[in-house]
Amino acid sequence: MKMKTTTNICKKIRNRLYNAISKHIGPDADWVQNHIAVCPRCQQRVASLGRVHLAISFIKSQPHSLDLLMRANTQAVTVLKHSLRDTPEAQKLKKELPEQNLFEKCAKYKSPVANAAACIAIVCLMKIGIFSSMQRFQTQSKQAVRSYYAANAGQDIADEIFTT
Amino acid sequence: MRSNAAALDLIWDAAILKTCDKTQRWVLPAMHNNGRELVTMLWRILGNEQDVCDAYQDTFLNLAHYHGGEKPKNIKAYLFRAANNAAVSILRKKIARKKLSNNLAQRQPQNPANRDIDSQNLQENLRYFITRLPEHLRNVITLRDFAEMPYVQIGKMLNISADTARVYRCKALQLLAVWMNRE
Repeated sequence: MKMKTTTNICKKIRNRLYNAISKHIGPDADWVQNHIAVCPRCQQRVASLGRVHLAISFIKSQPHSLDLLMRANTQAVTVLKHSLRDTPEAQKLKKELPEQNLFEKCAKYKSPVANAAACIAIVCLMKIGIFSSMQRFQTQSKQAVRSYYAANAGQDIADEIFTT
Repeated sequence: MRSNAAALDLIWDAAILKTCDKTQRWVLPAMHNNGRELVTMLWRILGNEQDVCDAYQDTFLNLAHYHGGEKPKNIKAYLFRAANNAAVSILRKKIARKKLSNNLAQRQPQNPANRDIDSQNLQENLRYFITRLPEHLRNVITLRDFAEMPYVQIGKMLNISADTARVYRCKALQLLAVWMNRE
């Protein structure tokens, strides 16, 4: 248990150090960007890395047909043993379509959940934070103005103004 | 006496387990559990559906014949590495065939002005240069960028640390950038 907490602390420190260092010596650091802006060789390097990232993004954005998994399974099952080919699991695999994982299934509920959470947060803030602090601010300012009037115009006038 | 019987029982259980393993029933759950990710990775490496099916078939054929039908210790690691190798060998054959046909047809080189915006050409170039990467770098870049696995998992699969995997990917990207720039 103690070992685990120590490891967590180490990890936190490592992450903080990494974040602190990357601000100053990472590719997004100002001095690096300033240099790239004036150095043609570095610009070329950054551009070629950008091309690789662009190509990877292009490849990742290409969708395959929905029944590809089914076809691949069907073809793969044919090379397995006869005893395996005829099992119900194999038959099921031949009809398998890509299933959405839990995260993808929940993605459609993302915006309603976010809206509901925002509403709840606003209600909580209004109930707990904003209203009480507004009220406190109002009474405190009222008292300050009353004491100002009492000091400058007299207690009677201040009482008269603030009791009505 | 009792302990002897227990020992015999254990031996019997082990024998049953071994014969069960020989039936290779574990291949089907492995296909069910990893199929989707494997197909996605293969599709991204190969970009052709028939090639994906062929590489997928090769992968499971290799799995079924691994050490005479034994179950690998880490099925997922084995599957992804085997799929990677199968995909790369298919890609290499395809590139060789294409080069040959291009040589025969004596095609004119492409206009360099069009090169930058041609996404198809960019993808083909990347696939070609990925096949030229050393195996350790290629494995990391395909698992990280095409199979979208975290570095920790990649490290476990390739028996390296997550930091080493990160360094390998960085090196692979640098090499690819240099090669793609020369093209």
